[in-house]
Amino acid sequence: MSGKRFIECPVIVFAVALVLAGCTGPQSSLDPAGREAERIAGLFWWMAGGAVVVWALVVWLAWSAMHGRVSRHTERQARLYVIGGGVLFPTLVLAGLLAYGLGMMPALLEPAPPGSLKISVSGEQWWWRVRYHTADGGEVELANEIRLPVGEPASFELESPDVIHSFWIPSLAGKMDMIPGRRTRLVLHPTRTGTFRGQCAEFCGDSHALMAFPVVVMEKDAFAAWLTAQRAPAATPQADAGPEARRVNRGRDAFLEHGCSACHTVRGTLARGAIGPDLTHVGGRLTLGAGILPNDHPSFVRWIAETDRVKPGVLMPHYRMLPSGEHDALAAYLESLQ
Amino acid sequence: MTKRISTEDAPHEKRENLWLLIVSPTIWAVHFLFSYITAAVWCAKVGSPGGSLQPVRWAIAIYTVIALIGITFNGLSGLRRHNFGTESLPHDFDTPGDRHRFLGFATVLLAGLSAVATLFAAAVVFYFFDCR
Amino acid sequence: MSPVTHHDDPDPLPHAPTPELQRAQEERLREAWRSPSGWRYWSDVNNTIVGIWYTAVAFLFFLFGGVLALMIRLQLAVPGNDFLSADRYNQVFTVHGSVMMFLFAIPVFESIAVIFLPQMLGARDLPFPRLSAFGFWCFVLGGIFLSGSLLFDAAPRGGWFMYPPLTSTYQPGVGADMWLLGFSFIEVAAIAAAVELIVGTLKCRPPGMRINLIPLYCWYVLVAAAMVLFAFPPLIAGSMLLELERAFQWPFFDPARGGDPLLWQHLFWLFGHPEVYIIFLPSIAIIAMIVPTFARRPIVGYGWIVLAAVGTGFLSFGLWVHHMFTTGLPGVSLALFSAASEAVAIPTGVQIFCFVATIAAGRLTHSVPMLYTLGGLATFIIGGLTGVMVALASFDFQAHDTFFVVAHLHYVLIGGSVFPIIAGCYYFFPLINGKKLSDKLGKIAFWFLFTGFNATFLPMHLTGLRGMPRRVFTYPEGLGFDALNLLSTVGAFVLAIGVGIVAWDIVRPKKKQPLSERNPWNAGTLEWLPRMPQENWGVRSIPEIDSRYPLWDQPNLVRDVDQGRFYLPDAEEGKRETLVTSPIDAEPVQILRLPGPSFVPALAAITLGGFFILGTFYLWKAAVVSLVIALGTILHWLWTTTAVIPEKAEKSAGLGLTLPLYSSGAKSVGWWAMLITMLAVFTAFVSLVFAYFFYWTIHEDFPPASATGPGVFWPALGAALLLGAWALTLLARRCNRVDNAPAFYAFLTVAIVGSLAGAAALLAGPWRTGLDPTRHVYDATVWLLAIWTALHAVVGVIMQGYCMARRAAGRMTGRHDIDIHNVTLFWHFVAITTVIAAGTIAGFPLVK
Repeated sequence: MSGKRFIECPVIVFAVALVLAGCTGPQSSLDPAGREAERIAGLFWWMAGGAVVVWALVVWLAWSAMHGRVSRHTERQARLYVIGGGVLFPTLVLAGLLAYGLGMMPALLEPAPPGSLKISVSGEQWWWRVRYHTADGGEVELANEIRLPVGEPASFELESPDVIHSFWIPSLAGKMDMIPGRRTRLVLHPTRTGTFRGQCAEFCGDSHALMAFPVVVMEKDAFAAWLTAQRAPAATPQADAGPEARRVNRGRDAFLEHGCSACHTVRGTLARGAIGPDLTHVGGRLTLGAGILPNDHPSFVRWIAETDRVKPGVLMPHYRMLPSGEHDALAAYLESLQ
Repeated sequence: MTKRISTEDAPHEKRENLWLLIVSPTIWAVHFLFSYITAAVWCAKVGSPGGSLQPVRWAIAIYTVIALIGITFNGLSGLRRHNFGTESLPHDFDTPGDRHRFLGFATVLLAGLSAVATLFAAAVVFYFFDCR
Repeated sequence: MSPVTHHDDPDPLPHAPTPELQRAQEERLREAWRSPSGWRYWSDVNNTIVGIWYTAVAFLFFLFGGVLALMIRLQLAVPGNDFLSADRYNQVFTVHGSVMMFLFAIPVFESIAVIFLPQMLGARDLPFPRLSAFGFWCFVLGGIFLSGSLLFDAAPRGGWFMYPPLTSTYQPGVGADMWLLGFSFIEVAAIAAAVELIVGTLKCRPPGMRINLIPLYCWYVLVAAAMVLFAFPPLIAGSMLLELERAFQWPFFDPARGGDPLLWQHLFWLFGHPEVYIIFLPSIAIIAMIVPTFARRPIVGYGWIVLAAVGTGFLSFGLWVHHMFTTGLPGVSLALFSAASEAVAIPTGVQIFCFVATIAAGRLTHSVPMLYTLGGLATFIIGGLTGVMVALASFDFQAHDTFFVVAHLHYVLIGGSVFPIIAGCYYFFPLINGKKLSDKLGKIAFWFLFTGFNATFLPMHLTGLRGMPRRVFTYPEGLGFDALNLLSTVGAFVLAIGVGIVAWDIVRPKKKQPLSERNPWNAGTLEWLPRMPQENWGVRSIPEIDSRYPLWDQPNLVRDVDQGRFYLPDAEEGKRETLVTSPIDAEPVQILRLPGPSFVPALAAITLGGFFILGTFYLWKAAVVSLVIALGTILHWLWTTTAVIPEKAEKSAGLGLTLPLYSSGAKSVGWWAMLITMLAVFTAFVSLVFAYFFYWTIHEDFPPASATGPGVFWPALGAALLLGAWALTLLARRCNRVDNAPAFYAFLTVAIVGSLAGAAALLAGPWRTGLDPTRHVYDATVWLLAIWTALHAVVGVIMQGYCMARRAAGRMTGRHDIDIHNVTLFWHFVAITTVIAAGTIAGFPLVK
């Protein structure tokens, strides 16, 4: 027995290490980077440990009952199993767990203090409209990416104009549904910087799986600088530069010519559509297509030409039929919108 | 087959009330529903997010006291029937007495469970002070 | 232990009837209960036959759902896979969930109960055999229709939970209509079966089986069937609202016109959570039969298990919001539902410890059924423990809608239901065709199932916590989902091999295999009385019961039953008969004549199904024609086979007992069936009233300032007329009883006129005041409540006319008055419904 235990020890250590390594990830609720996620992960580990113990106990009891390790019982003794194991033990454990779990809730649902950063997010099939409310009462509309200052509470107002979505950044906190006709709230407290991933958690149609967004938690100063940059209108390309700038200019013309502006806004240009994502600084984002493609030239081309294949059911029409070169120019223009 | 002449004077089937069995869980259900509706209507109509929950907490506390009194009465009546006569568990004889005791016993158990479930629900008053 | 019996219990006949008499009795019984041959075989209504068809078809749907599961797992095996398109995947997972819930789990509970409940109760059949057959045909028709839609790329694709507005306005095509109408149809069938099972348990027990001696399985089925009555109607009501929105633009879930998507979630989960326990309880019930048999002793804690079953039945109705923890409801509401969700774990734990205690106090023999039982419990406990975790709202904020929940629910449903059902297959199979299943195949299959299951679902806990949401058709690589998903897929195929082995064991030819011995496991309960293979008559003579385990405790029981020394050993008139007993002490009160084979139930199912199926395609005219034919068929069915006046008032049941052949009012099984059915209908109505007040809570002003009606006059007039019709119906029943025919006809005629006028007045309310159901949800809700009540009145009119015709045809008399009794009972519900509906639509705007 003791020899066996000796072997078991490293095995257990290895298993624990494996499990812990298996918990990390940019979308893992067990690798928290926010106050809410930390608390819930802590709760989970306690409950998971308790569950393993309870399961092992019950199975051991059943095993010994079967194999008569506990000598054969009279009916009266057997009834003690029921009263002790079936009634008293679970009632006490559940009461304790409930007391602890309810105790956590008020803090998880606590509204952000006045003056906190306020962000409205609207889940739409299948992307995210993001509005930052600035301290001066202004509003900056962005899309498909959220950046937050570390150590500051951020208060989200969540809504949807079409179907039910759910806003979820596992690394930071639990999820909150976005329900047409209702406005829901969520408060985040990021505790460390880094890049994480959020994803829609409520089934919302064809491309539910393809509705994600990167989340960047930044130092306070970097965040302020970023937000200032995002407020600015799009950069105007140089009129007389080399071939690269000519390509960008052609792309800008194509953008207006092919009707992209009917749905998209590029602040500082004639494009003022409000149906699709704001593209003012799309070139500076981490991903394309709501968290599903890297932000690079080939991805832009692919998104424009193969929209319906990249994201099934998407509302944006594909532009496969554009003459060759146009895809390239459009991509160059969008990339330039840093 | 051994036979025993039943000397006990257990009530006839017609005077046995099956509904007594589910009085306690019904009280739990009513308590639960009232608590939920009171809280939901208050927070939707009066409280708004962040509004005080004080009247709801009092209401739930009062519902709880009433519910527990009802459950206790039902449980005691069950206990009386469970202790009827001289036989003890498991109440598995084909006699009116054992039927009477069995129904009493089941009533006691259901009253116990309902009381615990009611107390669990009542616990919310210790944790929530507003409609967050 | 020697059973102690009640002093006036009759003994079986001291001497066996002569062999010639026994042979003649058996011949007459065999003839009365014979299954039709040839194509007419499908007209049979006997519970054993119908139950076996029912179970077999449910298993086929299980296999179909399993194939869909494999397709899901194949698609998710690797990141970015394109085995299924997004749309196809959404259809597949929607149909997988729906099939497993509505076409396997619920039907299989009812079908197993249809086979075994009468056997455990020593009854010849259930009280309404044709109703079982009707339910079966509804199920087959609806099931094929729904599953077939997948082949035409027309399946529902909104998830088995069908959340609007996705399913109301963003998914054109017939898929969602199919789901709403098809499943409503199947739910009606499920409610029919539930009525049957409740009345069967309460009224068709063997003499002496007092309420403290009922086999535990029957307790569980009683509770689960009662839950069906209160759980399914909210979903039927919700489906009606959603279909009205899809077909006629009534805006119940459209926020732009005052609706709210959350109402659907309330109604759906008010069904959906009890549903889990409706599946679980009858499955654990099988375990409650298996454990005592193999522990070789009576169950420890019979009362505790009854507590657990009844307690779970209640508590499970207080959990629904735990599926809505992330919808932004106030914290205090979430906390209440957290509390109830934790509390429900207590009765669940009690049951498991009763089984452990029984094993500890007994002497366990190992067997395949026991292997599945223990494997199932070990699995289920994990699901129970993760259930306790997700019941805490705090944790559920993260776990909700992730693969963690997928893992949790499969541990609960497969551990708590599929394993016990397979245990039941191995245990009960000899009762189906007299042959045992193979021990060897059973053991091999078990280990495939057990390892495959855990390999599939254990990793999913981690997949979910690492952030993988449910219902995604693909996922990107590098998020830590890849290896876990691949493992789940491999596990799923191992699991499938296990299912395949079990399926093969069931269907493999067993011609050469010897018959099983009688009562092969040496069990103690009545379902093990039959000879191998068993006869259609169910039980040779209906025994007097003294114990929870009569086969263990009552000496010579098998011999006495076999030789016809107990009740009803004969079928002198060649009619199918069973005993009706009182609900608490099972005192015999009536001999019930049961109808024989008929195609009428199948025809009724097909025509009623036609209404729903044609409605799916918006072919409303054809649908209404089909509905009218269905109505005619059902009336024909009722006319010819219900409340038949017997040729003599009473007959001998044997052992010196003479019982009536006809009882009406609360003594008749039909009255109970009407009561139970109406409870379900009333629950659906309450759901609609709930909708009205729900809208009130979410709106600043409800009724809205723009609302124009319905005013007080018309609803009040309608209510007064309907209450008058109700009073006249009551009077008519009295007049019938005293054979005052002129008054009877006069009262009913006036009642009919009053009911029709009342229905018209109710509809005139919203109509005359210009309420437009497509304008605002207020108008739509008022219209719906008025229509619902008016429809009740119209059905009531048909019933009143039916009673007049019955009396005129001599099929109803002063003493034989089942029909008018049941119709009066229906009218009680019409009266309550009217008062509540009129009070709501006319009264509430006043108090507000």
